[in-house]
Amino acid sequence: MQAPLLQLRTINKYYGRSHILKDISFDIMDGEFLTLLGPSGCGKTTILRCIAGLEDINSGDILLKGRSIKDLAPNKRNVNTVFQNYALFPHLNVYDNVAYGPRVKKSMSEKELRKRVADVMELVQMSGYEERMPHQLSGGQRQRIAIARALINEPDILLLDEPLGALDLKLRKYMQTELAQLQKQTKTTFVYVTHDQEEALNMSDRIVVISEGELQQMGSPREIYNTPANLFVADFIGDRNIKKVQLLEKNQEYCKVMLGRSIIDIKCSECVEGPYSTGETTILAIHMDKMRISCDEIPNSLSGEVRLIHYAGSQIRTEVDVDGEIITVVEYQRNNCDYEIGDKVSVSWEESGAVLLPMEEDAGESNA
Amino acid sequence: MNTKPKRFRIFYLSLFFVILYIPVLSVILYSFNQSPSTAQWTGFTMDWYKDLFQDRVIVEAFKISILVAVSTSILSAILGTAAAIGTLNVTKRMEKTINGVMILPLLVPEVALGVSLLLFFTALKLPFGYLTLVLSHSLFCVPYVYIMVQLRLKEIDKSIIEAAKDLGAAKWQIIKTIILPLIMPSILTASLLAVAISLDDVVISTYMAGPTSTTLPVHVFSMMRVGVTPKINALCTLILVGTFVIVGFSQFISKKSNQKESI
Amino acid sequence: MLKTKKIKQNAPVVPVLIWIGFLVGVPLIYVLALSFLSRDHLGNVVLEFTLDNYKRVVDPVYLKVFYSSFLLAALTGLITLLIGYPVAYFTANLESKKRSLAIILIILPFWISSLLRTYGWIILLGNTGLINNMLLKLNIIQQPLNMMYHFGTVLVGTTYMLIPFMIIAVFNSVGKLDRSLLEASYDLGASKWKTFFNITLPLTVPGIAGGFTLVFIPSLGMYFISDLLGGGMTIFLGNVINTQATRGRNKPLAAAFSVGMIVLVLIVLFIYSRVIRDKKEGLFL
Repeated sequence: MQAPLLQLRTINKYYGRSHILKDISFDIMDGEFLTLLGPSGCGKTTILRCIAGLEDINSGDILLKGRSIKDLAPNKRNVNTVFQNYALFPHLNVYDNVAYGPRVKKSMSEKELRKRVADVMELVQMSGYEERMPHQLSGGQRQRIAIARALINEPDILLLDEPLGALDLKLRKYMQTELAQLQKQTKTTFVYVTHDQEEALNMSDRIVVISEGELQQMGSPREIYNTPANLFVADFIGDRNIKKVQLLEKNQEYCKVMLGRSIIDIKCSECVEGPYSTGETTILAIHMDKMRISCDEIPNSLSGEVRLIHYAGSQIRTEVDVDGEIITVVEYQRNNCDYEIGDKVSVSWEESGAVLLPMEEDAGESNA
Repeated sequence: MNTKPKRFRIFYLSLFFVILYIPVLSVILYSFNQSPSTAQWTGFTMDWYKDLFQDRVIVEAFKISILVAVSTSILSAILGTAAAIGTLNVTKRMEKTINGVMILPLLVPEVALGVSLLLFFTALKLPFGYLTLVLSHSLFCVPYVYIMVQLRLKEIDKSIIEAAKDLGAAKWQIIKTIILPLIMPSILTASLLAVAISLDDVVISTYMAGPTSTTLPVHVFSMMRVGVTPKINALCTLILVGTFVIVGFSQFISKKSNQKESI
Repeated sequence: MLKTKKIKQNAPVVPVLIWIGFLVGVPLIYVLALSFLSRDHLGNVVLEFTLDNYKRVVDPVYLKVFYSSFLLAALTGLITLLIGYPVAYFTANLESKKRSLAIILIILPFWISSLLRTYGWIILLGNTGLINNMLLKLNIIQQPLNMMYHFGTVLVGTTYMLIPFMIIAVFNSVGKLDRSLLEASYDLGASKWKTFFNITLPLTVPGIAGGFTLVFIPSLGMYFISDLLGGGMTIFLGNVINTQATRGRNKPLAAAFSVGMIVLVLIVLFIYSRVIRDKKEGLFL
């Protein structure tokens, strides 16, 4: 197996008394698109800044290509950042902004530089904008320049701090595709910070989920989406119905659980391996959009009464009362069943959409 | 809204501004009066202005004033800017100390400051004149530069500095390529204001001036002590116009730089 | 290791601190030392400790000087407050275009030579001045009024010179007022006057205190105003220091008076810091 490009080893970071990063360890492979995902204030940006060298770490180590860089100043690390607000130099035109890195490092002649700038400008599709000042550019254009300014240095890793946060929804979707393409094209390792799960799931090779300074789960988008490691990830990624259930029986393939008065089977291969035993309370989490409503009784389903139907654009959100528990179902079209409020219906789900998770102390909160 | 209080407000403000500007306007007006006395208006003349340019003492004092003002301004710009940039990286406690020390020259009443400098420089046997004038003027100009430049520095987005660091710039490169260009308008504005402040100082200059080097305000003051003459009016009017040109120019610079930065 | 890092961090600002320390601190300490020294019969300073200078400072004749200086500064503070507060308050409530104009008009005098502004009053108030001319022409008076060279004339001068400081200080304070507080007060049925005295005034105390300090300190030392407008009829601290240091050639006495003046300033600053304690406001920033 190939050695990791960057290794974070039990990093701890304090601001005064508050513990911002708690024993963060993970590896980043060469050429991958890794996303740090978590709610705002979880420490993901701090991790990025520690890699860039803009923050010191209190303990642990950061290895780039096997060599410790934790005591190197940011200008000595071959890592570049695209800042959240782009941080273009307002007094320099686009060309001088992009040329800034090679110039301060005196790494190439002006002639060479001209060619390099032209190359990266073409890469980000901004050729012809060299003479513009930053304030004459739109948000999306500034973003491209910020990327070009970082890429021209051919960094080992490009760090992106919520770069799409300031853009409007339409542009954001478009830039997602572009960024992913750019990453494949340049074969640069991207470490991308966002709080937007959709961005993370769309673009990344791997996702690291962080909450309150702790690493919650690391894996491919599919793993993160389908098999959350804990309640926090289950709650944070995707829209799920999260309910307490009684575990009645457990065998190799299925767990039998009780929700309200209904007894249902959950496929065990999709459950997290847990030390839970029969009779215990566990958490059942089912993706709302992997659920279906049928008018007829079907096996292994929950039956209840339709409480509310809400049409939100292309989605239909239906709330079903199952023995006092509200289950929300998101559908994109009505299946074979025209139900109204007050009708008795059955709610079923794709097997891959449901997981069982261990109970945690103060389950309402993000983690234990 | 009810108009009565509103009308009273406008009346009060107008009255205040009229009184605020009447003394100034009368000085300007009577610089064009033919009669040497303010007792009556006898007709328009520019003679008093012509008189000024023939008065060698005034011309000499003017030259010294300008020389002192420009030197002070340059010295203060360098010191004030260095202090402001230096403050970027210091500890919180140090910053407080610096802010306190910077305000000191503005807090001590001018007479006390002037006299203490007079006694001190006498003890040091410094020659009074150009050197002592520049030293003392820089004392109350440095804080202005410091305060104005620091305000601008605080406006600079921290991530811009971080971006420069991230792109490989060393500390001196950041100062040279990012910080200085960004604060240059403020430095220019502050230096121009320093020129204006230095040109206007009477109290401290009185003590710092040498036997052969009097600044313009010191000379004007001694003229005023003797009595009223339209020549003083003319001189004051010229100083006023000069100051306004400088201040106006500095405002123009700072406005223009503000427009440029709409990020 | 932490300590060396701190020293390195603070190093760049040290030269400027030394610069200012050298030009403000050292002279002030020198003056303090000088105020305890005596002079020989020729007027030269001798290295001999004495309290004579301070004895003279507390001499009734000179105490009166302190008293008039204090009175002048305090009255200047009070009058600039009474006239300036409404100006600041009304200006803050103007619509934005008129407000900017008013602010420019308030700040502009800072850039007009203080000598010119003092001289303007000589032209207005002098025996052959504009006001007397006008009153004589209108036959309201037969003899010119003697308006120059009084304590009041000096007070007019200092007030006129320093009122922009007061207005700016109060204006900043009024600008920071939370509008919703005033609205809440009206909403609760308080009248305009009641709201003003119960809410606006107490909340602008930092501005008032700042303005008062900014006016009080310079008015102690603007001796050219009392020279030109007071004509030496009332003697103020500034004049005494000025005369003793230059023409009187009694440097230790001038030093003792300077120390006295600075003590007065320190007292005012101390009161100011007490008034604004826990309120996040600074004198200049």
